[in-house]
Formats: sequence, structure tokens, C-alpha cells
Amino acid sequence: MRRFELAVPQKIEECLAVLAQRGPDARVVAGGTDLLPQLKNHLLKPACVIDLSGLADLRVLERDSGRGFRIGAAVTARALEQHAGIRAAYPALAESAALVGSVQIRNLATLGGNMCNAAPSADMAPPLMALEAEAVIAGPRGRRRVPVTEFFVGVHRTVLAPDELLLEFTVPAPVPRGGGSYLRHTPRRELDIAVVGVASEVVLTDGVCGTARIALAAVAPTPVRATAAEQALVGQPLTPAAIERASELAVQAARPIDDQRGSAEFRRHLVRVLTRRTLTRALQRASGGS
Amino acid sequence: MRKHALGCTVNDEPVEVLVQPYDTLLDALREELRLTGPKEGCGTGDCGACTVHLDGKPVASCLVLAMQARGRAVRTIEGLAKSGDLHPLQDAFVRHGVPQCGFCIPGVLMAAAAVLADHPRPTEAQIRYGIAGNLCRCTGYTKMITAIAEAAAAAPAARS
Amino acid sequence: MPTAMKTTREVKGVGLAIPRPDGPEKVTGGTEYVADLKPKGMLHAKLLRSPHAHARIKRIDTSKAKALPGVRAILTARDIPTLKRKAPTRAHAVLAIDRVVFVGQPVAAVAADELAIAEEALDLIEVEYEVLPAAVDPLASMQPGAPPVAEAGTEADTSEALAHSGVAAAKSEAGPPKAVNIAQQAKLQRGDVAKAFAESDVVIEKTYRVPMVHQGYLEPHAVLAQWDRNGLLTLWASTQGSFNTRSEVADILGLEENQVRVVPVECGGGFGGKIRALCEPITAALARATGRPVRYVMTRREELEAGNPAPQVIIKLKTGVKRDGTLMALEGETIVESGAFSGAVLTMGAVFLASVYKWPTFEVRGFEVLTHKPSIAAYRAPTAPHTFFAVDSQMELLARALGVDAVEFRLRHLMAEGDPMANGQKWQSNGARQVLERIAEHPLWKNRAAWSATSGQDGHGLCGTGLALGGWIPGLQPTGATVRLNPDGSLGVLTGQVDIAGTNIALAQIAASAYGIDLDKVRITTGDTDVAPMTGLSAGSKTIYTVGTAVLEAARDARRQTLEIAAGEMEAAVEDLEIEEGRVVVRGVPGKGVTLASIGKKGNLYMSKVPPVLGVSHPAFAVQAPAFAAELARIEVDPDTGETTIHDFVVVQDAGKAINPLGVEGQMQGGAVQSIGIALTEAMTFDASGRLTNPSLLDYRKLTAADLPNIETIIVEVPAPAGPFGARGVGEPPIVPAPAALANAVHDAIGVRLTELPLSPERIALALAATRA
Repeated sequence: MRRFELAVPQKIEECLAVLAQRGPDARVVAGGTDLLPQLKNHLLKPACVIDLSGLADLRVLERDSGRGFRIGAAVTARALEQHAGIRAAYPALAESAALVGSVQIRNLATLGGNMCNAAPSADMAPPLMALEAEAVIAGPRGRRRVPVTEFFVGVHRTVLAPDELLLEFTVPAPVPRGGGSYLRHTPRRELDIAVVGVASEVVLTDGVCGTARIALAAVAPTPVRATAAEQALVGQPLTPAAIERASELAVQAARPIDDQRGSAEFRRHLVRVLTRRTLTRALQRASGGS
Repeated sequence: MRKHALGCTVNDEPVEVLVQPYDTLLDALREELRLTGPKEGCGTGDCGACTVHLDGKPVASCLVLAMQARGRAVRTIEGLAKSGDLHPLQDAFVRHGVPQCGFCIPGVLMAAAAVLADHPRPTEAQIRYGIAGNLCRCTGYTKMITAIAEAAAAAPAARS
Repeated sequence: MPTAMKTTREVKGVGLAIPRPDGPEKVTGGTEYVADLKPKGMLHAKLLRSPHAHARIKRIDTSKAKALPGVRAILTARDIPTLKRKAPTRAHAVLAIDRVVFVGQPVAAVAADELAIAEEALDLIEVEYEVLPAAVDPLASMQPGAPPVAEAGTEADTSEALAHSGVAAAKSEAGPPKAVNIAQQAKLQRGDVAKAFAESDVVIEKTYRVPMVHQGYLEPHAVLAQWDRNGLLTLWASTQGSFNTRSEVADILGLEENQVRVVPVECGGGFGGKIRALCEPITAALARATGRPVRYVMTRREELEAGNPAPQVIIKLKTGVKRDGTLMALEGETIVESGAFSGAVLTMGAVFLASVYKWPTFEVRGFEVLTHKPSIAAYRAPTAPHTFFAVDSQMELLARALGVDAVEFRLRHLMAEGDPMANGQKWQSNGARQVLERIAEHPLWKNRAAWSATSGQDGHGLCGTGLALGGWIPGLQPTGATVRLNPDGSLGVLTGQVDIAGTNIALAQIAASAYGIDLDKVRITTGDTDVAPMTGLSAGSKTIYTVGTAVLEAARDARRQTLEIAAGEMEAAVEDLEIEEGRVVVRGVPGKGVTLASIGKKGNLYMSKVPPVLGVSHPAFAVQAPAFAAELARIEVDPDTGETTIHDFVVVQDAGKAINPLGVEGQMQGGAVQSIGIALTEAMTFDASGRLTNPSLLDYRKLTAADLPNIETIIVEVPAPAGPFGARGVGEPPIVPAPAALANAVHDAIGVRLTELPLSPERIALALAATRA
């Protein structure tokens, strides 16, 4: 790594002050699992690194007034994976957290880091998008809320300005007769990056699909929603044929590339397979299965 | 660059050491405290050789800035056995002839200790996933799995 | 801890499964590797590496970097006068002179107070490149007019083949190579192939491809260099052969070998990748330039981008048989892509293609091709996994086409002791037949039809079973050992053999058995190049076979000397003496005897006339001991994602005699898992400009514990006539069979033959999708 200065703020205001001062020269570090490899590979050469580990507020993990959850940006993947409330309310999110890296990585990697790194393959992004979570962002002009579906701007780019800090996500309360699932494909079982990841959330209303949300990772410059597939399901009984049709439509939302992790052709194939599988599991959960 | 004073505990001993802002926890342990049991196999969190416990949880110490450990409890392979004897996992690794080149072993043992803390009677799958962040190129893992399972089975049921 | 090591009189150590004595150090973090050493005043080294696969260096300006506080030295090629423009080996290409030939090639070197400062200095070195067209694809690189890789007139480097393998080089084809990037050619021929194909009923032709893979040792290359005031260089190195490192470094830097001392520090894995010098010469040069100890530890990214991996191998294989199963003809072409510097074990691959089964006629051509990629080195049985992938995939296809049992078909045609290999050399005694017969008796093989029948049932995917044979002819290299009787009656064994996998415990077992002493009285030491007997590489599956022989003979020599001294003291004939419980006794007269301690003590007493006991052996070798393994995989394939789950994996291996079964099992399991990695997930992938696209262990996918089942091991013992206690080499054979075994299993499961590794989910899923379309 190149040399840099380190700031260790103990309060969010202090952190914002450093960001305001150092802005583009600074990078915040929480878990470090994305930032440190980028520093070591010289992809980034910040003059200043701001350690967020002193900011306890970023580790909030609790139910909010609307019986949804507030999840602090510095909550680790491991904490989400193991949290009974999260596992019960948002199984797709817990499943995605459990797939990040290895246990040594999950004890460091944070939800906020996974989102702010904004890799197309970010595992925790599709569940948050399918759950229609919101990001809470602090900056010199106060706080703002951004729907997660609008959080990503491009590869490794988000709506965050250089002087802003991601504080937390709010996730809406789980809906009765709702269910979700996240699956990804990797050549290895652990310690790998999604070739494709798919999150599906469905809500059953009077025996048919009331709501369906499907989000895809690693098939476009940012994680994306498969809206055509979602719309095709609404109002339909979730039969295998309907799920199959939606899986075909999900492929339309994918704009994959060929890279070392997989070809565009294989990625399209996986979108179909994993959409089908996550919808089927989401349906089981919505129907009271586990 | 201005050095920072890092205060934390390492293997139950309070330590105060000057570190560079850009030192990783692994750098501080190996180069400053001369605890060279944790190894750097990749530097990017992909091999597990640098695994230490931070507040009781296994982490890739190559991805932690040293100053992020301030006020926290660090345990390395040198502090796995609380007394001078071998920890039951270490003893089982020796008896089963697990170590070949040995470079991955300190990290594997720290990951294995975390598996047993979470699952005193782990299934084979729990062991395999628990050490899946630790690459070993020599052993094929089989003897490791056997040794970890045996150490777990030999421990009193009420392991904390 | 190991239980009591008391042994029977007949077996003092050999054959016992005993843990290595340095185990407690390894499990407590006490074992020191090079990166753990930190002498006072030590500097850190970094290398500036080429960003281009092929470019001319027009200008290097190091002035800004030199001005950075904390920088102690910056070297470019012009600072090391002994460097040659036509580098005969990769090791000699310490720094690029005026042309870079692969991404990652060192261009300049920095020594600084801190690693971070050295890294910043790299940013300040200005290099002006003129980018040249690169030869990236080996098939294109073979064509006339391809961008040249080596300097014109550079000789091929065949030292690896000579050092590593036990097969005599096949005759090179007469005449100069056709194209500029073909470094070596080989041709083997017997009989009229065209006629035999014309008479064949079934002809199968396939092209098999195995990409570059990395040895993947967990400890990156590391070295610490220090000079003293007399100009003596000491290198603490992570090496598979300290004497080899010494020779290479001395040659490259123009030193006498006795000016260089190489201390082999614990080696964190090598598998062939730490035979040749890589970062030792430049680190020594930096230490010389600064007058300070300098440590260089390669990063994992550097290891992957600029280590010395295994070659890409492309094998075209055409085979013809009669309907009754008679083998008729084999035509093969093996293309070994060596990257930027020659050094492939070309002949092994070419010879093996036509040497395992009895092809009456064959024509095999081999080409070593240079490309603008990192140059290659040995990797555990170099090119054998590749070759057997082709050979035993092809045998399976032939058996299927003929509708005969795949194992019986192999056994019917398998070469045996005395049969001529493709190069005319005769096969020595080996256990190829025995391992194949043994694995075919395994319940998983006998019940394979029942397993296949579960496909699609109860949530199962596509189920299959496959097996394959593989082998290697271990290397031979002279070596030496001494065995000393200490004044307390214990033994000290000294070799220069680097112990990576736990070979020292097996050597101690050999010494204990040969001398007649309990194992706990034997201590074995690996000495540095100043003190140890000349010793070869820890490579080529030859440590136990060759160094074991030296230890055996030295221990016998020490025993003979001991008995002679005792005979004089006891006034008895040597033939009547026996060593028992630490005493020399007269056979059948239990009361009469002298202790080993008393003999040992007299060897170190002032004015004593009893010479100290020092057994010595320094043999050279001529007799090979081929070593074979067979592997079986029972798998399940997810028909949608193409993911393969290995439910069971069995290795059957002929160890000749398992000196220490614990160590042998470890070799079998580790070798098998490396082999499964080559088969399923590992590949170095390059883009069109020659840049590695997966330079991390996240994207270069070595298998994790979660990807694997327990590896079952079955040791078969077919004694090697010249091996110590019948032992043969065990390190390499288990890495050979899995690619073919898994390709055969996948074929069994999905009904499609895949001929390109790795057998990735993508390849399997898209192949299955194609059959449905």
C-alpha cells in the first residue's frame, strides 16, 4: 500500500467534517474487505483514509417504528447472517449476507461497504432492491433518503457525493403472505464472487401474486430490477408455468458482459435458472414453508 | 507520516505499540509485535493464512488497519492455547499429521477454534464451511476435518 | 502428542504412521519462514514490473524515485553487468534489458526502509515503452511471422526436463525449427500409422486442452539476502533445492559457488514452482548495492502474474482400434506453451502419450512454443495430468465405442515391466496394473450403475462415476547423507534435503531401521549449503527413493563401524553382533554387550584411539521406479447450473513400501485435491493483450474445504527393486489421474464428453443446454 493519513472520528459530525475538508482525497473504511485490496492493488491512492469503526451509530440493528428494520451501514454481513430477526423478516437478505466471502470476510465486511463499493456483483444489493429498502445519507446539507433502486449510478459508482456518508438502510416491515429468496451461482461454494445473483420477493393476495420484485446482480453495470418479469406475475397464480415465463422475461433485464467469471451467454442462462429457483422458494416461504 | 499509538490486548496481554496509519493489523502483529504465527498468503483476504480473532471472531487481519483494533481484543495462534500445552485442536493436528508445509496451519486453527466456539459438536459441513476461507494446498483438507471433528468430540460437552 | 515410539526389533521405524516431530512448532506458529526473519537494519524490496506483454524499453529514469527519502537503492539492468541479453533461462532474466516479453516482467528494483516507501518509489520511476505486437495464443505463435519472443539464437532450456523427469529425452527432429517461437520439437514414431488407421474399425479423434495453472503454494516466493565484508553472500530462501539455488545465483551474479551460502528456510510449499531461482538474484544484487540485509516477499498478485506456472497444453489425439478391441494406431501432437522463456518438460508428455497402453504403431510430435506470457516451470508431475487427461479420456471413449468394460479394456492393453515405452526405454517394475485392479474392486465402482440410476430421482441431479489411471517416472539425482553416533548413543542424520511435506520423519525412520535403534534416538537435520552433503531437489518424487537410499546406506555404514568397534572391544566377530535396546550384544548371549553410548563417548574422548562413528553415503542412481495411482470420483451434476458435486473420491496408489503411511496419505490427499482443482475450477485466464484477468486467489479458484469430500486413500505396495525397503516416490502420481477421472465421471453423468479443462459449471451447463436445443 502507498502511505496515507488516517482519521479516526468518534462522531458522525467529525467524520462529515473530515469529508468536507478532504472530500475527493479521502476514502472511508469500515470492514476494509473491498477498500484494502483496492489500496493494495493501487487502484486507489487516497491521501487520507477515514476509519468508521469509532462510529457506533453506524452499527444500529433494530426494529424501527414501522416494524421494519434499521440496519446501520457498518453492520457486518456476519451479523445479518446470524440475526434471528433479520433471518425471520428478510430471509433473502440473510441468505445473501451468508454468501459473502468467507467467515473471516463476513466478520469484517459491512452492508454499507457492499453497497458503496457498488460492484455489479454485490450480493446484498438485490435483496435490498427487492425489499425496496431506502438508504439514509448524511452530508453537509443534512440527511436525505434514497431508494436503493436509485442508489447505484454505475460500476463502482453511487449517488453518494464525496462529502457524504451512508448511515443506514431502512427496510420496510415484512408483509404477511410474503416471502423472499436470494441465490447466486459461483464455481466455488465459498470464497467467490457471484457470476449471477438473483433475489425474488413475492406477496400472495387471494391466492394470486399480489406483488413480485426481482433483482439481479452481475448482469449489468449495476444491480437491476427485472420489472417486465415482475409485472408478468402480478395478478397471476404462481404456477410453475408462470414462474417459467417470468424467468424468461427476467433475462430481458440482463445486459451481461463476457469476463473472467462467466460469459454473457452463461449469465443469461443463469438468470433464467436462478429466477425460477428464487421465485419457487419465495413462493414456498410466502405459503408458509421455510 | 505521523505514527499512531495502538492500544489493545493481544493474547490477553495489554499492549501499546506505535503503528503507521497504513499498517494493517497483520503488519503490526508480525513486524512490530513479532508475532509471526499469522501469515500473509495473499494480502487480500482470499486465503485465510492471516486469520486472527478480533473480539473473539475470526477475521482476515490483512484487511484490518492496525488502528481499527484499538481497544479491542486480538488473539493469534500464539495465544490459542491458554496454558503452555497444546490446545486440543493443535494436539489433534499434530497426531493426525495434518501439517505439511505448515504455512496455512495457524490460520486454519484459528478458524477451526471459531467453528468450535459456534458449534461445540459441529457437523462435517459446519467444519468444512467454517474453514472454507482458509486455503491449503498440501493436505486436501481430509486430515484437518478429521482432526477438528476429533478435537470437538473429545471436548467436554459444555464448552463455552 | 505421538504415543510411545517403542518399536519391535524387526521394525525400528519403517512402516509406522508417525507424526512429524516438528508438528508442535507448526501448529503453534513457531516455525519460521523467510518472511518471518527480520535482521537489524533490514530493507524491503519491490520490483517495477512491465505493464505490457511485449514492448521495447526506450528510456528509464529513476532520478525522481532515487530522491524519495527512505529509498536506499534502485537498480536497472545496466547496474548488473553480468546480465546477458540472450538470457538462457528465466532465472537469468533478472531485469529486462531493453525489451519486455511478458506482463509482470521485472524492469527495475527498489530497496527502501519501508515497503510503502518502496511502493511509492515504483510510481516515481519513469519508463517509456514502445508497445510491440504480442504473441498470446500458442497456436498463432507457432506460425511463421508471429512476433518473436526470445532473442534470436537463444538456446532452449532443457534443464528442467533433465532435472525433473526420469525419461530420456526423445530425439529432436532434425533441422531447424520452422517458426521463430518454437523452442523445442520432438518426434516419436513406430510402424506404419497410416496403414494401421486404414485397417482400424473405430477411429476417434479429439483435441484436449488444459490451460495454464499455478502451483498455488500458500507461501509466496521470499528471500532474505545479506553480504558480509568478505564478499560472502548468504541467502535465506524458500526453495525446493538449496544447492540448485546456490548454483543459479552464483552463475547469474558471476560468483564462485563457495562465495554463496543458501540457508533453506522452512518452505511453505513449492510443488515445482520453487525449483528455479526467481527473486533471489535481484534481492542479492539489492543487498550488495545497499550493504544492508534486504528481504523480498512476492505478493500473491505478483505470484500469479509473474511466477512460473504450469504450461498450457493442447493435445491432439487420434486413435484407431479393431472392433475386437485390438489397438492399431495412435497419432498425437502435444503443444506445450511455455510463456516467455523455454523450460518445458516436453519429452515427458510426448513419451507418455504412446507409452501407457500398447499401441503397435504411433506417431507423436511435440512442440514447445513461446508466447508473451509468464514463463513456466515444473508443477508436480509436469504435463502428466495433461497427458493422462488425454490418454485416459481417449481410452474411455474407445471402450464406450466398443461397448466393453472400461477397466478391462485398459488392463488388456496396459504396458508392464519390460515393455518398450515410446522412446524405446523399457518400463521398470511398477504397480500400474495393481492400482487399476484394486480401484475396480471398490464398491463405488461396482455399484456405479445403481448410482447412475438415481439420476433425477428424489431431487438428485445427474449422477455419474468415473475413474482413470495416471503415473509418473520419478526423477533421479545424486545425493548424500551422513549418520553420526553421538556420545550418548543417539544418532544425528545430516542431509541437505529440504523437508516440505514431512520427508524428514520418513528418512529418520529409515535410519532407525537400518541402524537398529529406536526412532526417538534419531534426530535428522537439513543443513545449509556450507555444511550439508550435496543434495538434489525436493522434487520429482525422489526424496525417499534417493535421499532415503543415501540415509539407508549411511546408517548401515555407521552400524558397520559401530559393530567393528564393538567387535574389537568384545573380542567377538562382527557377524555375531546385534544392536538391541541401545547396546551391541552378541547374538544369543544376552548378558554380554557394550552400550552405544560408550562407543559414542570414546569417539569424542581426549587421547581416545576409537574413531568417531560417521556413516557416509553419496550415491548416484540409474534404476527408475515408476509410480502409478488410480482415482475414482462419484459425482452429481446440477443439470441447470452445471455445478459438480463430488460425493466420493478414492485414490489408490502404489507406494512400493509406505515408510510412513501418515505422510503417504497426506501426499495422496493433497495431490488428489490439486488434481481435482485442475479438473474443475483452476485456470489462469489471459485477455487478448496477454494480461492475466484473474490475478487473485478470489478469481484463481483453488478448491476450499467446502468444495470437497474426504479423500479416501488405499495404499498398494509393489516393492521397487532398488528403493529403500522397496519404497517408490509418492509425491507426483496422485496429481495425475483426476482430470481424466472427472471427465469420465461427467461423461457418465451428462452423456457429453468435455475435452477442455476446467470442467467448469459454465462448460457443463452450456454443453447440456446444447444437447437440449
